[in-house]
Amino acid sequence: MAFSLDCEELKAYQPNRFPFLMIDVVTEVEPGKYAKGYKNLTNNEWYFPMHFPGAPNMPGALQLEALAQMLTVAITTQEGLKGKVTHALEHTVRFRKEVRPGDQLVIEATINSWRRGVCVGRGVGYTNGEVACEAKMMITIPDILEQYLPK
Amino acid sequence: MDNNQKYDAAFMTVFEINADQLNDELKYQSITTWDSVGHMALMAELEGIFDIMLEMDDVVDFGSYATGKTTLEKYGVRF
Repeated sequence: MAFSLDCEELKAYQPNRFPFLMIDVVTEVEPGKYAKGYKNLTNNEWYFPMHFPGAPNMPGALQLEALAQMLTVAITTQEGLKGKVTHALEHTVRFRKEVRPGDQLVIEATINSWRRGVCVGRGVGYTNGEVACEAKMMITIPDILEQYLPK
Repeated sequence: MDNNQKYDAAFMTVFEINADQLNDELKYQSITTWDSVGHMALMAELEGIFDIMLEMDDVVDFGSYATGKTTLEKYGVRF
């Protein structure tokens, strides 16, 4: 059953904090399947003054991080995984437009497979109804993955 | 393609190696591509090829090219 997480509730499902928390709200999550939400961007974001002076643009690495954090919520809202730390294994990302102050980065992340502590999924970020970035992602919960590795 | 050839093909595909690297020295973490992610990819590849579902203990025990066949034989794969 899907539910939502506000700005404080979502912290229970992924460990990033300021200045590295890249999602504001989870509007809808169905554990083990998908998570949707957004990040509102203002001129007060810490990275805009230096990336770049006179031409602020959310760094691509942080756009990817936002997608990965939303996918993490889809993973860790499953039973028994609350509070687990995730690590990135492999991401392939495509950036399609700049993400600027005043934009709302709407994020949709979908789990394609979750097995043996490894998630393969996809994330898409939209601004003003257009795709800004999209990524294929592989994320793991190391605690679980390590249980399946040869000793 | 017989089961030996399918088995070899799985290793070569997942780890991007040649047939001459398929020997008793090929073990988990003996090559860069057989890391944790590579291990899970190999398990998934073999499960798909042989239409089996490996138990957790067998995924852990699957530590080398040589011993892997013994593991698969538990699931009815004949070499």
